Amino acid sequence: MLLIDGVSYRYRDALTPALQNISLNIPATGVYGLLGPNGAGKTTLISLLAGLLTAAVGQISLNGQPLAALRAANPGRIALVPQDYAFYPMLSISENLRFFAGALGLKKPELQTQIDYAISFARLEQVVGKRAEHLSGGLRRRLNLAIGLLGQPQLLLLDEPTVGVDPQSRHFLLDAIAALPATGTMVIYTSHYMEEIAAICQKVAIIDQGQVLLEGALEDILRSDGAVLELHLAAPLPEAIAQHYAAKEEGKLKYRLKLPSTAALPRLLDELLAAGCTVRDLNLGQHNLEQVFMQLTQRSLRD
Amino acid sequence: MSPRLLALWLKETIALLRDRHGLMALFIMPIIFILVMTMALRDAFTPGTTIDVAFVVVDLDQSAHSKSLIKRLDKAAAFHRNTGDNDPEAARQGILAGQLSLALILPKGFGERLLKPTGAEGQPTAPLQLLIDPTLSPALQLAFRSQVMAALGALRADELTQRAGKLFGLPTAAGSSEKDWPDEIRSSAVRNDLSAKLPSSVQQNVPAWLIFAMFFVVIPVSSIFIIERQQGTLQRLRAMGLPFRLILAGKLLPFFVVNQLQAVTMVLVGIFLVPLFGGEALEIPASLPLLLNWWAVSAAVSLAAVAWALLIASLAKTTEQATIIGGVGNVLMGAIGGIMVPKFVMPAVMQKLAAFSPMAWGLDGFHSVMLRHGSFADILPSLARLLVFATLTLSLAIWLNHRALVARS
Repeated sequence: MLLIDGVSYRYRDALTPALQNISLNIPATGVYGLLGPNGAGKTTLISLLAGLLTAAVGQISLNGQPLAALRAANPGRIALVPQDYAFYPMLSISENLRFFAGALGLKKPELQTQIDYAISFARLEQVVGKRAEHLSGGLRRRLNLAIGLLGQPQLLLLDEPTVGVDPQSRHFLLDAIAALPATGTMVIYTSHYMEEIAAICQKVAIIDQGQVLLEGALEDILRSDGAVLELHLAAPLPEAIAQHYAAKEEGKLKYRLKLPSTAALPRLLDELLAAGCTVRDLNLGQHNLEQVFMQLTQRSLRD
Repeated sequence: MSPRLLALWLKETIALLRDRHGLMALFIMPIIFILVMTMALRDAFTPGTTIDVAFVVVDLDQSAHSKSLIKRLDKAAAFHRNTGDNDPEAARQGILAGQLSLALILPKGFGERLLKPTGAEGQPTAPLQLLIDPTLSPALQLAFRSQVMAALGALRADELTQRAGKLFGLPTAAGSSEKDWPDEIRSSAVRNDLSAKLPSSVQQNVPAWLIFAMFFVVIPVSSIFIIERQQGTLQRLRAMGLPFRLILAGKLLPFFVVNQLQAVTMVLVGIFLVPLFGGEALEIPASLPLLLNWWAVSAAVSLAAVAWALLIASLAKTTEQATIIGGVGNVLMGAIGGIMVPKFVMPAVMQKLAAFSPMAWGLDGFHSVMLRHGSFADILPSLARLLVFATLTLSLAIWLNHRALVARS
């Protein structure tokens, strides 16, 4: 388990801290999502975990041992896959992998084993001799990921790893990342794409303005916020019902109502019937992460 | 051998081999400069070579003395005399048309008045007149003037000797004034032994352009370094636990090796290629201690060049900036350091400025070994300056990167 305890961080000359008293319990299995808009503090937190920044306040430990000590003992145990294409465009895929494996201090035969594994995992076999500068955006992302896997890391930090890729490559990357916990790698995944987080993460923390707004299992977060009912009526929704269910008008005679749970639907239908409302259409569903985030921050994830 | 350092060296080598522009700047550019500049400056380094400047003598006197003066000027052979109309106006037109650079006009009565002081007997003496192409360099104008004055002095001395002989009734050998006298001044280079040849154009230009090319590692070093910084590769390497000093060490050795390959290539060009173009072959010291001294200078220049390149790479934000700052910096260091123009043709102020150019320190070191066959003690001042420069620039590069890191945190 990765324990982040009371961590704060303020950049030099910044008026406000980038992270304020962050505490998270990140399980050793599964993919953990860090969700938040640009500037929320996700990359700062990832940089702290990767050792690029040092927290003045708070503790970070992995399985009870300080993360910095673990990193010093074996830098390959904690790997960072940054947002940028952090490799050498003039080198081929195999040359890049060979270089980064060497930079981790790997020696033959382990070096070759790790390179083969990374190539196979990221499905780069067909383009292994191609120079990185001639790769498509999707293949570049796969190479970026493959480099991160070279040291068989215990903790893999993925900072927005799908930015700028086509849907097919994104699908491949998400599948590949979702499969990583089965190989014994703990994954922390940051994104401002809520559908990505929803697709591969079991636990999520929503961060904004350097603070954790919400943390927990994805299902619990979505369930805890109740159900959503979209209604299309023949006449306006009576005021009393609208107030009771925090209804919002989303079109002509179309409303979005917040229900405490799906079990509350029969009672609402009874109330509508009693008020003489004719229901033309209805759609019952859960909140998605985007809506949860909006409710928490009054802002969109892409703001 | 550390696998991390080995990986860094290998990466840097592959990246450089793929950088065609960088390789051209490092190898092709200096070869072209060596060939062109060796040919262009060949005469400037060869004592006694005929200067390609034409002159005419307009002999209005037509006396034995005026003819004798012309013969003496022909013997000097430094400038070449054209024959033409014996007319001052034709000579003036020849200069205006660019066919001539100089015209010496010997006035009527030149021979008669050869030994009479100016203004003697109340008669003003017509001076010798020298017409000059204004584009001719002042040094050459002065050289021609000196040559005429020397010929005139010798002519007067002979005339005086002959008259004195007659006065005392001594026998006079016919035509003695036109005898070929042995050269009265012989040039010899001062060095520790006398086996080496005189300094030549190729010995100026090969080390000069080699040094210039070595400093051009700034182009490939900075282009790779800036890519690493901009694309987050340096951060990734830091996250992998690679200290910055190791990353710098990973750059130092490959480019040091590249610099030494440049040195070998340029020496081979000087030995084998320059003679094919009509130049003199480069002569490299034959003894092992001198070769080691030569290599020590080459190594010190290389360390200074790579450290300078790392400083530029740390200062510049983009590869374009690095190319401009590095390129202009190199050209300035070359211009004041005696690379493009030999130091001895510079004015005194510029020669003093050269003392501030690392390229001049390198060139002094090479010349000390190649021309003066200097010992290690002789090249030590050059080595010390270059190594201090390398240490300072490298320290500054490390400090700039550290400062940038702190600013980002």
